[in-house]
Amino acid sequence: MNKTKLIFSQTLMISTGILFGIGVQAMLSFLLGGDDVIIWEWYIPFSIILAGFLCSLATLFMLYIGEESREKVCIKTAFHFLATLAIVSFCGYIFGWYSSLSAYICVVIMYVLIYAFVWISTIWMLKSDEKKINEAIDEIRDEE
Amino acid sequence: MRVEIRQVESLDDENAVISAVQITESIRNASEILKKNGACIPAIMGNDTYMVRTDQIYYIESVDKRTYVYTKEKCYETKYRLYELEGILGFSFLRCSKAMIVNIRKIRSVRAELNARMSVEMLNSERLIISRGYVKELKRKLGV
Repeated sequence: MNKTKLIFSQTLMISTGILFGIGVQAMLSFLLGGDDVIIWEWYIPFSIILAGFLCSLATLFMLYIGEESREKVCIKTAFHFLATLAIVSFCGYIFGWYSSLSAYICVVIMYVLIYAFVWISTIWMLKSDEKKINEAIDEIRDEE
Repeated sequence: MRVEIRQVESLDDENAVISAVQITESIRNASEILKKNGACIPAIMGNDTYMVRTDQIYYIESVDKRTYVYTKEKCYETKYRLYELEGILGFSFLRCSKAMIVNIRKIRSVRAELNARMSVEMLNSERLIISRGYVKELKRKLGV
């Protein structure tokens, strides 16, 4: 995947994830007897895209550099998780996505769930490819 | 398609005729495999030059501008560069990194890694890596 495509797709994915999180929060709030409307400042949609863009840069610089060992990938993933969490927290703080500690905790929980979902989906796709490739290789492998 | 195989006495008598209503990708691949069957490349071991059958090759590696050909147990050196060999070798050979070409018919299994590379176990138990950028080509070759 080239760098521009990576940044674009990551920005879209992360922005969608944040919107999904806000949607779930709003739905829970409504179901628990809260407001049935969301009122946003004009800059909130842009702030979500900005957060997605900054997270995509973190992905570009922290996860997709060179060919590395499994251990290094795990360490980098941990740093990537912390860096993107810091970006989301910072953007949330600057743009007022949350106004109390409990709201921030909700954002963090949502973020962890989305991050885990993305990784589980990625691993599932990789394993699915692995299975298909092994099946195809079984059919053409030379006898030794 | 009905397939008939007859054994002949000499290499000169070897030929294959494929009669098909439509020349599909599979038929082109089969044709290329048949054409390259028995092809050899000159390679050096010690002071002697050998003609190494391409179907005996496990992988080819470029190290310090030298090109090494690996069979099940032996290692030869060839004057060809990797990009030249890509044109000579058949459909079953895949460029798996900047410095390596692997024979996919000699792969025992592949394992997906977190960084989207594939770890490969060869039939002689050697382990190689298919870089992220070349996995797509592997899937295309295998029709996955």
